[in-house]
Amino acid sequence: MANVLVWAVWVVAAFSCLASGIAVVSFSNPFYSALALIGNLASLAVLYLLLSAEFVAAGQVLVYAGAVMVMFLFVTAYLGGRADAPWAGGPSWQQFGAVVAAGAILVEVIVVIGLKAGGRLSHEAKIDAGFGSPHRIGRVFLTDHLLAFEITSVVLLVAAIGAVILGSHAHSQAALADELSHRREADARP
Amino acid sequence: MIVAAWICLVAPLAAALLITLLGTGISRRAAAYVSTTSVLGSFAAAAVVFAKLWGESPDARSHPSTVWEWLTAGSFHVGLRILVDPLSVFMMLIVSGVGFLIVAYSIGYMDGDKEERRYFAYMALFVFSMLLLVQAGNFVILLAGWGLVGLSSYLLIGFWHDRPAAVAAAKKAFIMNAIGDATMALAFFLLIQHRNTLNFPPALHVGPGHGWLVNLVALGLLGGAVAKSAQIPLQTWLPDAMEGPTPVSALIHAATMVTAGVYLIVRCHSIFEQAPRVEELAAGLGAGTLLVAGLIALVQTDIKRVIAYSTMSQIGYMFLGAGLGAYANAMFHLMTHAFFKALLFLAAGVVIHALAGEQDIRKLAGVGRLLPVTRIAFLIGSLALVGMPPFAGFFSKDSIIAAELARGWYGYVLFAAALGGTFLTGLYTWRLFLIVFTGEPSPFVREHLMGRSHAYGQEGAHEADASGAHEHDVHEHRGEGPFWLMGPVLVLAVLSVVGGWIQFAPLWDPLSTWLEGIAPPLATPSGTQEAVASVLAVALGLGGIGIAYLMYGSRKLAVPRIAWAQSLLEHKFYFDEAYDLAFYRPAVALARALGRWIEGPIIGGSIKELAAGFREAGLGTGRLQTGLVRTYALAIAASLAVLTIVFVAVR
Amino acid sequence: MRGPDVIWYLAVAAFLFATGTLGVLLRRSPLIVLLSLEIMLNGANLALIAFSRLHGESSGQIFALAVMAVAASEVVVGLGLIVAVARKRLDLDVDKLSVLRG
Repeated sequence: MANVLVWAVWVVAAFSCLASGIAVVSFSNPFYSALALIGNLASLAVLYLLLSAEFVAAGQVLVYAGAVMVMFLFVTAYLGGRADAPWAGGPSWQQFGAVVAAGAILVEVIVVIGLKAGGRLSHEAKIDAGFGSPHRIGRVFLTDHLLAFEITSVVLLVAAIGAVILGSHAHSQAALADELSHRREADARP
Repeated sequence: MIVAAWICLVAPLAAALLITLLGTGISRRAAAYVSTTSVLGSFAAAAVVFAKLWGESPDARSHPSTVWEWLTAGSFHVGLRILVDPLSVFMMLIVSGVGFLIVAYSIGYMDGDKEERRYFAYMALFVFSMLLLVQAGNFVILLAGWGLVGLSSYLLIGFWHDRPAAVAAAKKAFIMNAIGDATMALAFFLLIQHRNTLNFPPALHVGPGHGWLVNLVALGLLGGAVAKSAQIPLQTWLPDAMEGPTPVSALIHAATMVTAGVYLIVRCHSIFEQAPRVEELAAGLGAGTLLVAGLIALVQTDIKRVIAYSTMSQIGYMFLGAGLGAYANAMFHLMTHAFFKALLFLAAGVVIHALAGEQDIRKLAGVGRLLPVTRIAFLIGSLALVGMPPFAGFFSKDSIIAAELARGWYGYVLFAAALGGTFLTGLYTWRLFLIVFTGEPSPFVREHLMGRSHAYGQEGAHEADASGAHEHDVHEHRGEGPFWLMGPVLVLAVLSVVGGWIQFAPLWDPLSTWLEGIAPPLATPSGTQEAVASVLAVALGLGGIGIAYLMYGSRKLAVPRIAWAQSLLEHKFYFDEAYDLAFYRPAVALARALGRWIEGPIIGGSIKELAAGFREAGLGTGRLQTGLVRTYALAIAASLAVLTIVFVAVR
Repeated sequence: MRGPDVIWYLAVAAFLFATGTLGVLLRRSPLIVLLSLEIMLNGANLALIAFSRLHGESSGQIFALAVMAVAASEVVVGLGLIVAVARKRLDLDVDKLSVLRG
């Protein structure tokens, strides 16, 4: 009984994941694409829960769907979406090449890896109750993967600074540049 | 003694280096003094060596000295080696002695020239090179000296390098000498193979029974001698070499360098004696040259060129003597010729110097009245040249002529040629003397020397005459010329008188005795032969003088003008034209053809094609940079697909 | 609790990745390109979580969290760039932004 439930949830989540993925890529209006991505993220969170990764699922919803997508929506609203032909443009071999490449990757991943791995993919490990818990994740972050933790924080810092500089207003950026050059001249004068 | 020999060799080189390094740091006069003093020191050292050698017994007079081993290949050794023996000392004395006089003369002659320092450095370099040549203890050092004198000659002929005629003459001299260098080098290779050494004296003794080898070696050596001494067929460079300053012509192209060929033959006489045909060839070439040069000298109008052809002719005599085995006689004539030929050149130089560089005898006519001392000097030199007793040439030339009588029928032919040469010598020498130094002064002379003051002995300072004259200012001086010009002239005049008295065969012959150890003569003429030769030679010489006097002095006889003979002589027997046709034109045509058909399309084209090909490849590859992000992303995706397969397949 | 094998999750992940690739390669608007990049990253995350479950290791989940953080940073910077481009009144068309062509 539980098995059937799991399978049903899985089918629904997987299906909505794939559908929303295709939707993101296909809509001509970027606003719709962003909304479809939110759906994608939500279904992914369900799949994570099925895989006992509770913390990651929560993080997905909070960070990704909550923060990142909100940013996307803001920018899309600021810029205005253009609803023109989505698939046009580029060199002629681009479309054909793209389809071939993507298809090849898909086929390879499933067929080749699945074939090679064989039976090993069926034997799931035994996990305890605290497998994907915040407790477990926190401890691993601060012991085995401390370096990853620190580096990630640096990356976030750099991104924040970059965003500030990129986003600062044009005239204040020009003024900043002017002041820097004035100071350089003052230093060069004896 | 060995130390003195090395000092003699190195002193001029040190002077040349010093002048070069100091550059404009010393005054021009100082450079001249440095150069002259070094050559004087060289002469002093040579005199010391001579004195020491004189005191030794004749058998022990050969002293080699090696300072540095340059090359060792198995059992073959070549080093920096000099040889002190009677022959080399004899040459050392002549080279440094006459060299000193001429370099001293140059102090006056080149005074005021802007590049005087360079001139004196080159003169010192030349003296060093010539000493290296005569002192060489093996063939390699001899070849080094040989080449260096060729280089010095090139540098000094082309001294006034902004005159294209001088530059062309320098090139011509150098290139023709290079032919001789090549034949000599080939001879040396054969010697190395056969004797495994190039040192004197071992390399000089090729045993009997190697017919073709000895003949080839002798031919190679003869080729070098012919080129350096301007004998037929490599004689065309010598008249052109008169483009250089007059002291250069005196030193290099009269007294020393051109005699190097004779020295070579005498030094290698053992090799030549093994190859009698080559020896006879040498004598024949000498005889031919002396006649041809004498004939050409009859129509020359440039004072220096007359003397140059005279040099060619006299060296013909020396070759004749050396080819017949009369080595001491040839060297004796070399010595006296150095004296009187240098005297003639230097006296001519006084005239040229006084007349602002003019060398055409028609313009120089009659200058004798205004330059009496020079006239007497030139007269002495001319008498010595023609071989009148008691002047120097008489004793030396006649001994060569006499030696020819001792050699069978070929000797008689050569005897006749030599006597003919004597007649011609008298004729052209007196023609020159009479035209230039006697008679009424020409308008040119009047204008230049009698212009303002109307008194001879006081020339006003004139600007250099632009009409065909050289870069040369007339200097104001009292008397005929400054001390430095007249002093050497006087010394050489004295030497031209007494220089021949050192040997009067067969009565007293210290020179032959001196050289006997090194180069024993092949045949010694008897007393009667000597007497006959002398009488005939003097008679013919006087005959030549007499006819010249009739033609050019008292004008009783008209100068014959045979058209074909005139043009033949004026074109110097068409040697230059023949060489141009035979060698120069084909070479130039070949060079042009190669340039057009091979250099252009194949070599240049291949490089251009290579470059163009690379450019095309670059441009084509550049088209990958479309600037579109999507293209790059596609490339990444495609690579990913391919790599995945690779990774999986490898496992 | 049984459910689909890991292979099924991998299939979904592969499909998401391929879809994202198609979007990146075939869309002209840089905004959509960024969204497609997000799809690709999520596909990779799913695969990571699935393997983490297979082996019982938490490392996969750590990795997925790091990927999420990096994705967020990348989106921040990318959107900043797009806003700067728009402010310069240039076309938001990937094909037209090709100054670096060789």
